[in-house]
Amino acid sequence: MKVSLFATCLANQFYADACADTVRLLRHLGVEVDVPKAQTCCGQPAYNAGRRAEACDMARHTATVFSNSGYIVLPSGSCVGMMRSHYPDLLSEDETVPDLVERTFELSQFLVRVMGVTKLGKGLEGRQIAYHHSCHALRELGVRDEPLALLRGCGAEVVPWEADEECCGFGGLFSAKLPETSAAMADRKLDTLPEVDVLTSTDGGCLMQMSGRASRRSVGPPFKHLASLLWEGVGT
Amino acid sequence: MSARDRILGRVREALAERKQEAHPGPFGGWRSEGEDSPAVDRFIQLFEAAGGEVVRFDDDAVAAAWVIDFVSKYDAVSMGRLARGPTAVGAESPELVLKSADPADSDVGISLAYGAVAETGSLIMTPQDGRRAQLLPPVHVVWVEEKMIFPMLYQALSTLGKDLPSAVGLHSGPSKSADIGQILVKGVHGPGRLIAVLLAAKRNST
Amino acid sequence: MSCGSTPGQYRNEAARTIREEPQVRDSVTKATLTFDAHRVEAFAQIDSERWRDWARDVKTHLLTHLDTYLEEAEAQLIANGAKVHWAETAEDALEILAGIIREHGIKSAVKAKSMLSEELQVNPHLEKLGVDVRETDLGEYILQLLGEPPSHIVGPAIHKSLEDCRELFHERLGTPVNAEPDELAAAAREALRKDFLAADLGISGGNFMAADTGTIALIENEGNIRLSTSLPRVHVAFVGIEKLVPTLTDVAGFVQLTSRAATGQPVGNYVSLIQGPKKANEPDGPEEVHVVLVDNGRTKLLADDEAWEALRCVRCGACLNICPVYRQTGGHAYGWTYSGPIGAIIAPGILGLEESMPLPHASSLCGACADVCPVRIPIPDLLVHWREKAVTAGLAPKSETLGLKAYSALAQRPKLFNTAGAIMRRAPLELGGRALPILSGWVLERAAPEPSAKSFMQMWEEGIV
Repeated sequence: MKVSLFATCLANQFYADACADTVRLLRHLGVEVDVPKAQTCCGQPAYNAGRRAEACDMARHTATVFSNSGYIVLPSGSCVGMMRSHYPDLLSEDETVPDLVERTFELSQFLVRVMGVTKLGKGLEGRQIAYHHSCHALRELGVRDEPLALLRGCGAEVVPWEADEECCGFGGLFSAKLPETSAAMADRKLDTLPEVDVLTSTDGGCLMQMSGRASRRSVGPPFKHLASLLWEGVGT
Repeated sequence: MSARDRILGRVREALAERKQEAHPGPFGGWRSEGEDSPAVDRFIQLFEAAGGEVVRFDDDAVAAAWVIDFVSKYDAVSMGRLARGPTAVGAESPELVLKSADPADSDVGISLAYGAVAETGSLIMTPQDGRRAQLLPPVHVVWVEEKMIFPMLYQALSTLGKDLPSAVGLHSGPSKSADIGQILVKGVHGPGRLIAVLLAAKRNST
Repeated sequence: MSCGSTPGQYRNEAARTIREEPQVRDSVTKATLTFDAHRVEAFAQIDSERWRDWARDVKTHLLTHLDTYLEEAEAQLIANGAKVHWAETAEDALEILAGIIREHGIKSAVKAKSMLSEELQVNPHLEKLGVDVRETDLGEYILQLLGEPPSHIVGPAIHKSLEDCRELFHERLGTPVNAEPDELAAAAREALRKDFLAADLGISGGNFMAADTGTIALIENEGNIRLSTSLPRVHVAFVGIEKLVPTLTDVAGFVQLTSRAATGQPVGNYVSLIQGPKKANEPDGPEEVHVVLVDNGRTKLLADDEAWEALRCVRCGACLNICPVYRQTGGHAYGWTYSGPIGAIIAPGILGLEESMPLPHASSLCGACADVCPVRIPIPDLLVHWREKAVTAGLAPKSETLGLKAYSALAQRPKLFNTAGAIMRRAPLELGGRALPILSGWVLERAAPEPSAKSFMQMWEEGIV
């Protein structure tokens, strides 16, 4: 099986290890991974800001970069959400796009739904984990059970968390434009968090938001991207 | 051109290029599980869950005696116009009818409902009875014939719709509010006690 | 009463509320979580997906035939003995009200809770006309005593705690300092009873209006709407033109769905179905019923090929209850009658796009609202729609315009993109506040993120992975 990795602009710069762990994990499962060099950004920041022209340009670029790919896997729910929900409309004149986005998956979604894998190893046995459902993974992609199955499949306990499905307040540029409200949303997440060893999520933006706020307040557990945690789960 | 014409004109202009959509058909109150229990049982369940009280009788005279006894504990009683009419209470107790006070000064009001709705646990109150009697006293006793309990709200409205009075009220429990710190309080501003006196479908009627 | 704020002040008001009034965030969070939990339970009892599809389709049908139904409703209301007025703007609506007041020598009015009457600013106008007006909904009554506007569509005073109410009632109604909620309620009942009995005029809104029977449907729990529309000799109902539904049997579906979505009840404790003034065989009821059909920007929304879907709104407040942004501040920070997700998508039609900014941006686009809306309004899509319109209208902040144009240009040139990334990683956000003004807000509330030692693309290039 062959897969192209789309690192995504945010993870590429801030969660490079998670991208690397995504590659390692896929290879471990026998998947051949290539990384188209011309990849940049899916266009979501422009789309959400109402800049449709710029979003179209970035979408067109991305669609071209991955036009020859089979499966496309991303360590991000929000970028996959952007592509699946909006590329067909933004690039309506391109008949190859609907098929392209059908082949595009967030990592946990790919592992469970396409590869049928839930048991990666025993590397997370005894670990108490809080899982944050990123809004786009949950609501745009319907990814809810896959990450939980994978984490439990590695022996982890996913601890109940009353605010686990609530938005963390990242929202891309929202976090910088309305920082006080954004921080209050992160506080809601942090203040309801049970005692855990680590907090994880499919999305680096969410992790950046919560860990940044936690760090400012000197609270919170360690934060780790789902890809890295699952690679740890493989164990050795 | 009047305001009416201008508004309708703007509506038409706005809709000029818009695709018209059909009405999807009547509301069916669809449930995930079937509702097999009798309408009267479903009415009682919802009405009581909302804080309403229910007493059931299959004999009008017994029902009347119960109501007369109930209101005897209060100083001032007001009776709705329909409740004074040829119902068991009016027939059994003409003194009560004569003593009837203004609803604004009463401790308890007696009304006759048009019917009830099982789906929502509601009493159907019509204005011929007198709205003040239905709203002002702090305790409200309402006669309902069980044969007039509609399973679904749309059925009740469909029937009423053939000859509507000025206003119909659906009363589904005692007056309540959670506006004070999210804590439930009763009796502001309608009756804080609502009692449905159900008269069985098959019963001894005078 | 007016807000004292405007949408343009959202950021400042939100920041101030969070910083200086933490009890508001607590009260609002508690109330909205409770409302939402009740909604979830109530939706689980029914085939909610089917109810929501039906409601969306009925409202869509209604809106695409709105002129026909408006004419039908008017004819029916007139046949019922009611009087029908048409108001293009808020000023027109107030002028109509003033005419009725003069004609009848109205001196006192009781008001049912009506968001439209807030939108139109009815109370200040009544005061100008020398009419003594009393809000009768308990939550609105509390706010009237405080001089504050409502902060939520269904629970206007959810930003107030029990302690706030105790203090207020002790001061104004003479209740004991530690009065129980029951005692507070009894005091309000007694105070307002006199107003109900003495008022010349009752004012309400309208949750729905059935066109086939000319029926105004009103949902409540307290009974103050039944009283306000039954005791005074004149009743004036303000109804937005989008509130119509085709038939009275349609109303059966809508009152149930709205009640379940708003508070989790199978139906609101009292539903009033009003056709017109009292009939000859009725002992009481208003002698005159006036219905004021209000446009005030609704036709503008109707003309927008995407935003018209917002007119399906049944004002249940479910989107406010689930919104993680609304929860942090309550409604006042939005600076307008309607707040939360629905406020942001109708404001550009009713207030104007420029006046509404930045409300369409006061959202992380999390999508929770679309999941709960009983009439399936695609709220996140409409927020993006208004953001696009704002860009076209030149209302986007300059730094954002320049920043995103530059970003897009780079994103189409991979080598430059990666070089720029490498440079950015060496200039951390604390410094980048000047270089990247678009991101400077980040460090106000959070630690700047640590970039990875090498970007992934660099690691790949170097064969590390």
